[in-house]
Amino acid sequence: MTFQALSRRALLAATAATALVLSLGGAQAQTPENVLIVGQIAEPQALDPAAVTAVNDFRILMNMYDGLVRYKDGTLEVEPALATDWTISEDGTVYTFTLREGVMFHDGSAFDAEAVKFNFERMLDEAHPYHNTGPFPLAFFFSAVESVDVIDPLTVAFTLNAPYAPFLSNLAYPTGLIVSPAGVMEYGADFGRHPSGTGAFSFGEWRSNEAVVVQANPEYWDGAPKLETVVFRPITDANTRSAEMLAGGIDLMVEVPPVALSEFQSDAYTVYEQAGPHVWFLILNAKEGPFADKRVRQAANYAINKEAIVNDVLEGTAEVAAGPTPPAFAWAYNTGLDPYPYDPARARALLKEAGAEGAELTFYVTEGGSGMLDPVAMGTAIQADLEAVGLDVKIETYEWNTFLGNVNPGLEGKADMAEMAWMTNDPDTLPFLALRTEAWPDKGGFNSGYYSNPEVDALLDAARVEIDQDERARLYQEMQGIVQDDAPWVFVANWKQNAVTSDRVEGFSLQPSFFLLLDDVTKN
Amino acid sequence: MTGYILKRLVSAVPVLLGISVIVFLIMAMIPGDPATAILGSYATPENVEKLNRDLGLDQGLVPRYFIWLGHMVQGDFGRSFALNRPVLDEVLDRFGATLILAGTSFVLCSLLGVAAGVVSAARQYGWADKAITFVVLVGISIPSFFLGMMMILIFAVQLRWFPVSGMWPIYGDRTVWVLLNHLFMPALALAVVATGVIARLARSAMLEVLRQDFIRTARAKGVRERRVIWRHALRAAMVSIIPVLGIQAGFVLSGAVYIEMVFQWPGVGRMLVDAILKRDILLVQGGVVFIAACYVMFNIMVDVAQAMLDPRIKT
Repeated sequence: MTFQALSRRALLAATAATALVLSLGGAQAQTPENVLIVGQIAEPQALDPAAVTAVNDFRILMNMYDGLVRYKDGTLEVEPALATDWTISEDGTVYTFTLREGVMFHDGSAFDAEAVKFNFERMLDEAHPYHNTGPFPLAFFFSAVESVDVIDPLTVAFTLNAPYAPFLSNLAYPTGLIVSPAGVMEYGADFGRHPSGTGAFSFGEWRSNEAVVVQANPEYWDGAPKLETVVFRPITDANTRSAEMLAGGIDLMVEVPPVALSEFQSDAYTVYEQAGPHVWFLILNAKEGPFADKRVRQAANYAINKEAIVNDVLEGTAEVAAGPTPPAFAWAYNTGLDPYPYDPARARALLKEAGAEGAELTFYVTEGGSGMLDPVAMGTAIQADLEAVGLDVKIETYEWNTFLGNVNPGLEGKADMAEMAWMTNDPDTLPFLALRTEAWPDKGGFNSGYYSNPEVDALLDAARVEIDQDERARLYQEMQGIVQDDAPWVFVANWKQNAVTSDRVEGFSLQPSFFLLLDDVTKN
Repeated sequence: MTGYILKRLVSAVPVLLGISVIVFLIMAMIPGDPATAILGSYATPENVEKLNRDLGLDQGLVPRYFIWLGHMVQGDFGRSFALNRPVLDEVLDRFGATLILAGTSFVLCSLLGVAAGVVSAARQYGWADKAITFVVLVGISIPSFFLGMMMILIFAVQLRWFPVSGMWPIYGDRTVWVLLNHLFMPALALAVVATGVIARLARSAMLEVLRQDFIRTARAKGVRERRVIWRHALRAAMVSIIPVLGIQAGFVLSGAVYIEMVFQWPGVGRMLVDAILKRDILLVQGGVVFIAACYVMFNIMVDVAQAMLDPRIKT
């Protein structure tokens, strides 16, 4: 063989190939009409609502399945969905649902009380023949359920082991979405790749790492959707996702990076924002060190310029938080609360009063994690604000999983403060898991700062079993007032979810639940 | 030659076993477990324990390793937690995409790099040499992910000549033509640095050879200069260029991780990054062992090729 001939031929071929590719130049095709292409943040794990935990997967699932109840448009209050009506027994332990008539799963099987029973027993009963099609990480949402009984084909009763007020809103959460029993029986553990529900869109195809395609369900009980097809594309890198949006490769993108928002300030795009049930806070170690004194904890709340963090670090993608409960839970939110104002003088005075001037603090910061926004930049800004009032703050930064491994077992003996963020579906969840005395880390909770106030404990216990929504709201509101004053955390920010659509998309809105609902969207 | 190849193949077995132990231990020792990663905010000790049991992670390290190894030897790499599908399916899908990207890139950087090096050496200190040296220096200095993003901004967002990301269009036929269209930018971005490195080494290898007696002899007997360079000199220089190509092949393969992130290429590098973040143990382990096996095979092939070209290497 001769190298001359080889390399010449190869060079020629390479040049020809290059010319060929270049000749393809010219505008890329526009996306077709009535086909919505959504830029997602990751490849879904599965399309089985019982088996997944990520918001990314929920965004697809909410369009393919229905639950017994759902959140009313624009709120976090429940309304009927597959159940048309329900009654709750006096003692709050039996929920009886009347089911919608004539609803079919996409695979043609009928939705009835047996299907509801199958869904919950599959998740909860380890002896159920299809329990091995899991695991079901969030099944504990329904751990209060003792039995599910079929009364007649359109009536089903849930018996709880104790009154549990968040039950209805847990049913509206994706874990409560109803899957087709026939589908589970046919595909077993592979159901997550052959999904079948009752929702506005039915499953089309799933091309791994490229797209999940769903098609309009013309038989949808709540009115057929206007779009013919929705394509969910996983685009992990936020910059690439923005570039796809700018190049017209996608019609709708979620989780736009704050710095890219300015790119979309034109008539060709619409930017949406919606505050959600999220709170970003600092856990303060109330057991030992300077933060054992309430005045020092309050001083930290006064010293930190939350406006600056929200507007400058987060570029306006969050709002200042006032207390432990996000305002998105409008029905349970205490509107009388004002955030701690930025008041360094007041902070200094409180520190002096408590004798904590110049105290040394260890501050756990994470590099990034679910709901943590921009934790390093935020941590640095917080450090600067606290040093400005005379505290000596030392930052320790950890990768997310290591960070959780350090923070969740409690801060005692390790740190004085730590960043944290939560996103929940009910006002009960976060305070119940992270503010009660019974939720200290050694008791299996997330109260890593050892906050303890018997009054708060009593309010939270009462709210959890209260079935009257107004009374329940009152209990949460009272709790928020006390917690804000006690300042076990520094309340920093409530994240606003954002999304961008092209000008071809109409009828879209974001939900406070952070779900993506597409049945009323059109595209021309 | 057959004996040599066999010897090399046998010597690869302990290497791969060692890799399997290391990757297994790393995944076992890094903080955070899959259950915590899956449960996120809801990772109470009780929930974590139950999920670990469901995932089969409640056994000791040693039995877990041997169960894994035993299954793997039989071709069963297990099931990915995060993607809910067999690890081997995912790895093969993804590896195919990476091979297309890295393979194209490798061909590009080999051809361009060797050609640039040869031209540079043949015109030492001439304008072509200077121009090539400058371009090569710039190419080596630009991080590939930055170059990739700039290419996206200019050629995809502004000019709209090429698609921003992905390997296939969402709609339409999957033709070679369409694939090339998607492949062009990532392959080029990935090839740039390696092209620079190869060009530099090819240049010095050629200069070395051009000083030797047999080149003078060739010129003295009247062989045309073009033939002297491309046939006589390059052939001799290839002996020292080929090992560099082998190293660059590894470099292109590992550099593909960044490019796959930037261009959302559905390759194995991006898969591993996602899997590590999600603590998807079996996918990381299976993926790493598979890639390591390919890498070892590739090195063996390079050694064999070299042995064929250079009779001085003992087989």
